[in-house]
Order: sequence, then C-alpha cells, then structure tokens
Amino acid sequence: MKYNLEIIKNKKKIISFSTVLILFSLLGILYSTFNTSYKKPINLGMDFVGGNELRIERVCEAECSNVSTDTVLENLREISTKKNVLNNIKLQFQNNNKLISIRTPYLSIEDSNNLITNLNNIIGPLNYESKDSRLIGPKLGKRLLTNCVTSLLVSLFAISLYITIRFDKKYALFALLALFHDLFIVFGIFSWLGIILSVEVNSLFAVSLLTIAGYSVNDTVVIFDRIRENLKSNKEGYNKTIQLSVNESFRRTTFTSITTLIPLLSIILFGSYTLFWFSLALSLGIIIGSYSSILLAPSLLLKD
Amino acid sequence: MKRRQGWLFFIIFLLTLSVYLLINYPLQLGLDLQGGSQLTLQIIKEEGNVTRDELEAVNSVIDKRVNNLGVSESNLQTLGGDQLILELPGEQNPLVASRVLGKTALLEFRTQKEGTSTDLKILQLQRLNIKELIEQFSFAEKSQNDDNFLKVIQDDLKDLEQELNYISTSNDLYGKLIEIKKYVDKEITNLFIKTDLSGKDLINAGRRQEQTNSNWEVLLTFSNSGGEKFSEITKSIAGTNQLLAIILDGESISEASVGSQFVSTGITGGSATISGNFSAEDARELEVQLKGGSLPLPIEIVETNTIGALLGSKNILKSLYAAISGLIFVGIFMIFNYRILGFVSVLSLVLYGFFNLALYSLIPVTLTLPGISGLILSIGMAVDANILIFERIREELYDGNTLTRSIDSGFQRANSSIVDGHITTLLSCFVLFLLGTNFVKGFAATLGIGVLISLFTSLNCSKTILRFFTTYQSLRQKNLYLPRNNFSN
Repeated sequence: MKYNLEIIKNKKKIISFSTVLILFSLLGILYSTFNTSYKKPINLGMDFVGGNELRIERVCEAECSNVSTDTVLENLREISTKKNVLNNIKLQFQNNNKLISIRTPYLSIEDSNNLITNLNNIIGPLNYESKDSRLIGPKLGKRLLTNCVTSLLVSLFAISLYITIRFDKKYALFALLALFHDLFIVFGIFSWLGIILSVEVNSLFAVSLLTIAGYSVNDTVVIFDRIRENLKSNKEGYNKTIQLSVNESFRRTTFTSITTLIPLLSIILFGSYTLFWFSLALSLGIIIGSYSSILLAPSLLLKD
Repeated sequence: MKRRQGWLFFIIFLLTLSVYLLINYPLQLGLDLQGGSQLTLQIIKEEGNVTRDELEAVNSVIDKRVNNLGVSESNLQTLGGDQLILELPGEQNPLVASRVLGKTALLEFRTQKEGTSTDLKILQLQRLNIKELIEQFSFAEKSQNDDNFLKVIQDDLKDLEQELNYISTSNDLYGKLIEIKKYVDKEITNLFIKTDLSGKDLINAGRRQEQTNSNWEVLLTFSNSGGEKFSEITKSIAGTNQLLAIILDGESISEASVGSQFVSTGITGGSATISGNFSAEDARELEVQLKGGSLPLPIEIVETNTIGALLGSKNILKSLYAAISGLIFVGIFMIFNYRILGFVSVLSLVLYGFFNLALYSLIPVTLTLPGISGLILSIGMAVDANILIFERIREELYDGNTLTRSIDSGFQRANSSIVDGHITTLLSCFVLFLLGTNFVKGFAATLGIGVLISLFTSLNCSKTILRFFTTYQSLRQKNLYLPRNNFSN
C-alpha cells in the first residue's frame, strides 16, 4: 500500500529515541525528588496535600485597575487573625487583573469566608457568583493519594492480566512494555512541568494516566491483532510481515489518534480551566501512545 | 434485507424515545455546572473500621440535622464506607451547615459532687476570665496597634495558668487560650457526676427569646421515661447546694440549682430549658443538633467545594462549545477522508450523542465537568470503531470486491479488534468507578457508558444506515467510498 514505514531498517533509531525519552523523564523525576522544595517525584497538588484554593472575579466597570499583590497581602495581614497562614499565601492576578487566585494551607470554612470578606474590603467589590473555592483537609489528601495509586495499580494489573490471557507471552510482554513506556514518559513530562512551571498534579492526572493506559493498550492490540492475522498466511517472512502489518494499520492508528485529539484540543481551547492540564496530559499520552504502538512495540517484536 | 429494515425502525424508535426522555426528564447537573457547595464529612474512629450500622446511624443523624436546618434540595450520600457527602445546591452558605453538622452534640445531665461548691465557684470565675481574654484577643487582632494589647492578654493568661497550676503547650496565643478554656471546662465537668439522663431521652427541642433580656434559650422536651428520670434527679438535689449541670460535648453550658419546693416530687412536666446566654444563631444551631440527636461517632469536615452559580453556567457554556466544536471537526475529518462512509459515521455519532444523554437522564447520571470530558473523549473512541471498519471496507474494495461484500466483511473482520480495545478501556473505567472519588466517578461513568453505547452505534447503527444508503442505486458508486485522488494505483 501507500505507506512505507521502514521499521526493520530503523529499529535501532526507534529504540534509541525511546531510550532518550525515558532517560529524559527519569531525569525529571530524579531532579524533582531531590532538588525541589516539595521533594516528590512529581509536584503533588491540593487534592493530595490538602489546602485551600480560591478563585474569584472582581467587579470592574471597564478595566480592572492594576493592584500589586504585595499591597493586597500587606492589607490582608493587617486585618486577618491567622498570621501563620498568611505567611504561606500565594496570590495572583490573572485575566487583566480581573481574576484573583489564591492558595493557602488548609483553612476552616469560617477562616476561608473571612479571607474572602477581607479581600472584598481591600480590592472589592467581588463577584461572589463567580467564586470557586476548594478546601481539602490534609487527612483527606493522603487518602486520595493512596486511592489514586491503588486505582492505577489495580487497573494496570487488570489490563496486564487481560493481555496475558488474550495474547501469547511475547506479545503481552511487549504490549505492556509499550504501555509502561507511555505512562512513564507522560509522568516524566509532568515532573518537568512541575519543576519549570510549578504545574501541580491532582486526582484528574491519575485519571488521565488510567485513560492513557486503556487507550495505549487498545492501539497496540489492534496492531498486534493485525500482525497475528497476517502471520497466519505468512507469505513474506516474519520481519517483513510485521512491517507490512504496521503499514496496514498506520492509517487507522493515526486517524483514531486524530479523531481523539480533536475533541481534546477543543476542551483545551474552549473548555473550563479545571480540565486544561487533564486534557493536555491525555493529548500527550495519546500522541506518545500512537508512536509506541506504531513504531516501538512492533520493533520490539522484530527478530535480528 | 428485511432484517436490516427491522433494525432501521428499531433505531428510529430508540431515537424518538431518547428525545422524549430528554424533553421530559431533564439532565441532572452537578454542582460544578449549576453552582453550590459540597461538603465531605469523614467519620472518625480511633480503632477498627467503621461498621455499616455505624455509618447508617451517623447518616441518619446528619440527615435529620440537614432537614431541620431547612436547606432546600440538599443531597446526602455515603461514600466509601466512612465518608458522607452533602451537596447544597445554589447560593447557600456552607458555613452554617458546617458548624451544625460538625459537632457531636452529646448532651448529658450531671449532678454536682457534694462539698465542691467553693471549687466550682473559683472555676466558674476562671471560666469567665478566659472567655473574656478570648474576646479581647479577637478584638486585639482586628485593631491595628495590637502589640501592647496582646502583651496584656499574654500576662493575664500567665496569671491564670498559675492559678490553675496548668501550663498550656500550644504554639500561638490563640491556641493557648483555647487550650486553657478546654482545661477549665474539663475541670468543671469533673465536679459533676453522670446521671442516666442524656440527649437520647429527648423527643423534641425548641427555642425562644427570654423575656427579661434579648438572649435566647433552648427548650427541651423529654420522653415519658426521660421526664421521670429528670424528676428523680431534680428531686435528689432539690434544696441542697448541689447544682444540676447540662453538658454538651464535654462543656458545661448551664449550671442551675433546684429549689427546695421540688423536694417531694422533683421537677415534673417532662421539660426543661437551657439558658446560657445564647444568641439567636447559637440557639438555632443547638436546637437543630439536639433534634437530630448526638452522633454515634465524631465527624470532621475534610473537604468543602463551593462554586458560584455564574461560574457554573459559564462552565456549561464552555463545555458545550468544546463538545460541539469537537463533534464538528471530527465530522469534517471523517467526511473528508471517508466520504459517504464518513457521513454515515457522523450520523451514527449524532445517534450516539442522543443515546448517551438519554441514558444519563434515565439512570440517572449527574453530569459534572469531568463527566462531560469523559463524554467528549468517548466521541473519539466511538469514531475509532468506525475507522477500523471503514479501513477494512476500503481494503476489500481495493481488492476488487463488490460494495455489499466489502461492507459485510469489513464489519465482520474489524469485530475482534473493536471488542478487544473496548474491553481494556472498560476495565480502566470499572476500576476508576469502584475506587475513585465522586469527582472521578463522573468521568468513569460517562466514559464507560459511552464505550458501551459506541459498540451498538458503531457496529449496528452504522451498518444499518450504510445498508439503507446502498439500497439507492445512485449511492452505490465506488468512488463515493474512496477519495478520488488517492490510491489510484
């Protein structure tokens, strides 16, 4: 057919490329674990460590006046009763000074309400209808983290089990290798994002990893199915058949990725900010997943 | 052919049914889409797991309290064996709810130990002192030049600690003040002996404004046996200088003497009032707590989410844009690459959308932001099955097969790949649904339902529509199924 990916010739290049990606991710994870303030492989967000997150819009007539965050913080400190919390406050203006976003350690509902009232006095009026406030206790955070890690492990185990039953050992091993390759790289990229842009991961990140897992295996399974089918009528030898199968499935795999990326892209562009990093993680996972299904997993099947 | 026509009518029937369902049973929107607050309550048990019975007992107490609070359309559900989730839609302040729900509200009636009158008097005075200090502290914190003021409070606290012979261990001043207050409360409670009368003996609670001043008092109505116990207890201390204390969660909220006129019968009538300088709000909160009974296990509010109504409606709009633009661009992509086949997949996508939404209103699934992203993402998965089939059909056509034959074997040969792929995604959804938080469950539910429905729409609906199209001679030309410029070899 039309596509002619030379995976037999490029096996070494493909494997080296993946190795570089994995090392890059590993570096991010190690750097994040040892060289950052949070000392974790990835920058854990509020869902996992607890805290208080507040976003609220100001009511402005035409444009919102420019206010320095230092002035606001100074004023807040003067009228607030929780001094130690205010030492750890992070305050930002976004959207042309219209949107205020605040992060503090965990507060009670009462304290959080006071904070908003104080804020209203300093830079109000605020639009309470635009409020988005989340308070998560540290206990719950730990629990959510355990929950997410368990979900990930259990479903990876379930997928591995299914693949091992469904395929013979060699196929199963390589499909899983491709899967862990994809997850590891997405994880690594978010480690780097945490280091460079202070991007935090929340429970939705765990969800995106799980979804990527399902998706990546799906892609690989389709190609391996094709390889098995073609090997039955084995006309051109083992390696050639694999390459042929990859080229036959190429359109399908890229098309599927594109039709999944299109809705994700529209969430990134038009959707709520809650879903931004989630959709980005999924998009990355799908791109890397397609690469590993088309190029990496079949290359691993090739015989020397 | 007959059987296919049967399917066509079935699909049209399902579509009509879906539209009917959507019109008559509107979708339930989550708090992130309609605005409101969500509180997660964690049951705290020192040892062992929370049993089913305990969970239900806590649930029913919280439920009563929420109802007595008069919040409209609230929704309470259990989560994961030891948590409860309370949803308050609209612009209702979660503050009051959190104050009322968080307390154990264990009500006890205790009688004073003999010969402790002097001790009690001293402690009552100290309690007054510490309460004043706490008030001064919150005043000092609000004023600008507070350093001197704070120093005075600090010194007073030190004096009090010496009197009590107890040194507080908290780090900050406020913590110290609260700690000393707790200590004094405990010392007072220790001067009283437990009786067998408790909050369990109440059948009702109410509140009214005191006649002499503007303070509020809370009225207690006992059950028959409770009334008897109450008269027994009051009889036993009537005319003595022993007091009756009403204790809530370890803190004595009222100490009162029983007059000598009650020596023979005790206080009868089965009711009592607590007048402890309550404000209107305090009295209402206590009333709600007592009506609901005490919690069998303490709870803690571990999570609060509040979303403004305006933000909620913005979120709906944004999701709608995302979903529609996603659909349109996927549609364009499919029609561009697969021509008539692409058009068929667009039609089955539309069916897919309707079936999904109808099922949400039928089950019902509460639609949240992650839920919508699950739905939008499953569009991609639904198209995936179509792509697999169409690629096969194209191959068959290139091999020179007839259109009908190509379509048949295309659907047949793609089957196993489609089922395999869907199973792995379903596995992930299943685990997410079992182990995830509420937030995550929404995503797992919509993605899972989407994957299941897409099996029906992409296998059955697209086949039926395609068959229907191919009954028209004009739609049976091969070049309508293959892009003209590509693959001419």
